Amino acid sequence: MLEIKNLKKSYDGITILHDINLAIDDGEIVSILGPSGCGKTTLLNLILGLTDADGGEILFQGENMLRVPMEQRGFNIVFQDYALFPNLNVYKNITYGLRNNPSISTKQEVEDLIDLLGLREHLDKKIEQLSGGQKQRVALARTMVMKPKILLLDEPLSALDGVIKESIKAKIKQIARDYHLTTIIVTHDPEEALTLSDKVLIIQNGTISQYGKPDDIIQKPENDFVKEFILNQLLIKKNNIFTLFRQGNEPQMAAQVG
Amino acid sequence: MNRRKENEIKGIFGLVVLVFLIFLLIPLARLFLKSFMGDAGPTLGHYAEVLTGRGFLEAFGNSLLISSVSAVMTTALAFILAYAVHYCNLPKGYKGFISRAAVIPMLLPTITYGFAIIYSFGKQGLITQLFGAQLFDIYGFNGLLLGYVIYTLPVSFLLLSNTMSYVDKKFSIVSRIMGDSPFATFVRTVLRPLLRTLAASFVQCFFLCFTDYGIPASVGGEFEVVATVLYNEMLGSVPNFSRGACVAMMMLIPSMVTIALLHYLEKYNIRYNKISQTEIRKGAVRDTAFGILSALILLCVLSVFAVIFVVPFVDEWPYRIQFTLEHVISVFSDSSLVTVCRNSLIVAFLTAAAGSLTAYGAALTTARSHLPGKVKQVIENISLITNTIPGMVIGIAYMLVFSGTPLQNTLFIIVICNVIHYFSTPYLMMKSSLAKMNASWETTAMLMGDTWLKTIVRVVTPNAMGTILEVFSYYFVNAMVTVSAVIFIAGARTMVITTKIKELQYYTKFNEVFVLSLLILAVNLAAKGLFHYIATDRQKIKVKRTVRRPVISKSAG
Repeated sequence: MLEIKNLKKSYDGITILHDINLAIDDGEIVSILGPSGCGKTTLLNLILGLTDADGGEILFQGENMLRVPMEQRGFNIVFQDYALFPNLNVYKNITYGLRNNPSISTKQEVEDLIDLLGLREHLDKKIEQLSGGQKQRVALARTMVMKPKILLLDEPLSALDGVIKESIKAKIKQIARDYHLTTIIVTHDPEEALTLSDKVLIIQNGTISQYGKPDDIIQKPENDFVKEFILNQLLIKKNNIFTLFRQGNEPQMAAQVG
Repeated sequence: MNRRKENEIKGIFGLVVLVFLIFLLIPLARLFLKSFMGDAGPTLGHYAEVLTGRGFLEAFGNSLLISSVSAVMTTALAFILAYAVHYCNLPKGYKGFISRAAVIPMLLPTITYGFAIIYSFGKQGLITQLFGAQLFDIYGFNGLLLGYVIYTLPVSFLLLSNTMSYVDKKFSIVSRIMGDSPFATFVRTVLRPLLRTLAASFVQCFFLCFTDYGIPASVGGEFEVVATVLYNEMLGSVPNFSRGACVAMMMLIPSMVTIALLHYLEKYNIRYNKISQTEIRKGAVRDTAFGILSALILLCVLSVFAVIFVVPFVDEWPYRIQFTLEHVISVFSDSSLVTVCRNSLIVAFLTAAAGSLTAYGAALTTARSHLPGKVKQVIENISLITNTIPGMVIGIAYMLVFSGTPLQNTLFIIVICNVIHYFSTPYLMMKSSLAKMNASWETTAMLMGDTWLKTIVRVVTPNAMGTILEVFSYYFVNAMVTVSAVIFIAGARTMVITTKIKELQYYTKFNEVFVLSLLILAVNLAAKGLFHYIATDRQKIKVKRTVRRPVISKSAG
């Protein structure tokens, strides 16, 4: 269980996060949702250990991680731009961490990850030959080889489009379920957050606006911000889609995700 | 507190600063003091002496004049070449030829230009013989002008060509569609976006002419410039180091002004992110005119160098012009000349290695660390200072500081002098390349158990290899051709080819001069070719793989 208590952060006298309190159960997928500049990436970096907090606690399995250096926390991240190493091929990127710590994953575990993420046919390719979705899956595999205690994902879907987005979503869900892995995702897209996660943390101006299950957020928005900015966006989308499909334009095929 | 301490980067920063403190700031401070020190304490006497003495002000005026005229001419000529490459429908191969031929003079030392001019346009010169009469008097203004233009043409061409490749060609189309006259279109969409670069080219060329020693050393004649005055004060028949220091300080003033201007121009330059590619409009007249003009310019430049391929291979120019390899053989059987060649190669290679390492280390601290802005500014300032200091001034400062120390007359001091003299460009190349790389690599690699050093070795360096090779090549070529600084610090046993050429001039052994010049050209061409080959070889592998890549299957996502 990850507990965050009274977490505070400010830069140059400007407060980014006020007094953040929340708890995340093991194996849960939690999305941090909010407009740009709300402090969601700062919160992610604080959990990762890239940024120092000004005050508060980050407890993982009861132990305060605030003073534990980033590389010793055992958490890991996939950055928005993936940060893959272009001088190495796909396989060498995936197994990068094994060079430093050969025992962290067995050969079989690496092979399983490669198959799970559908990367077998791409192993010899250069990074620049991959599409966005393939890059995302390579970055996920590379991070999963390190067996993180918590998986952090920074805007994992924002650079992807259409069907690829849905397939990556499915992979993220599958990984969290198969590995019983606590996964924290930063996103600015309400649809993404509400369809991908067990719980959604809505942040506005450095404070928690609402934290709950997607269903609760849709049914019982706690304030105007959630209503007007989060739900309203989804409503417009919904209406657009309904308009498109109204006049005899029934879908000709079943939706496919995979 | 959790953030990585970056001790390695702090160490690199410390080393870089230490090197520049010992080999740049202290010598410069020493030079500054020397110019103010009299027998009895501080004095302005030397300055008074210099300013009122033997035609210094005239030389200074001459320098300003000839440098300005050269800079204007060079920029105009380089503009024609760059325009032909970027705005005309010329065959691709011809454009490639222009781009390559325009930078050839860079591969030769300036001191050679002068002798090439003498042997081309002098009374018995190759071109004089072709025309049947001497075209102009080569010693003095005309010769200097020709030399300076050839010398600065590559730099000006590279500057203009680079900016032109980023200027959006679609503006020209829009302007024409909106009803502008061809002249208005040219002014609005070509000249105006280039204005700052044209100014930068002028300033850069001015700086190079003002501080060059090689060309006036050979064709200056009675037309004295600051560089020749400086040389005579330091190494002439009646050396006076204090007066020399004063002249060096005076040379520094216009240099600082020009570089400050350059810095100012660069700051407000428009930065384009991507090279625009549009089809160029038809224009047969324009294409023919610029095609022919470019050919003429390059013919003039390259014809000057034709002599160095002719003179050393004939018996005795211009009286007995049978082909012979005698001169070449005699050079390579002269053990002192062989030593000089070996010295040059060692110096060029070590300069390239040490220089690349210094530039890489410095660029790592500014482009890939979280050191405070003020700390990074130190490196930026060092780069700016090295860009400001003429080679001659560094050479003289070294002569004052390191004479009598164990460093005097060593190849080491020549290497370090070159590393510092040419630091600015490689540093900026390295920095821009490193800054473009993904900012999360170090964090990602650290999360996978890397130390900082491991990440640099396994990820950053392999990805920076292209730029490292470019920097290596830049240092190598410049170390081969530089003369202005090393002339003051090369000793009898540490003589390099360029300083040897200066000595051979004294004994009027021009066959040897040309053989050695050819050798420099050959080495530089070979080096450039080699580095280019290594770089494109890597590129080729990439392309091959890309071609083989199958169509991305949709199901893979």
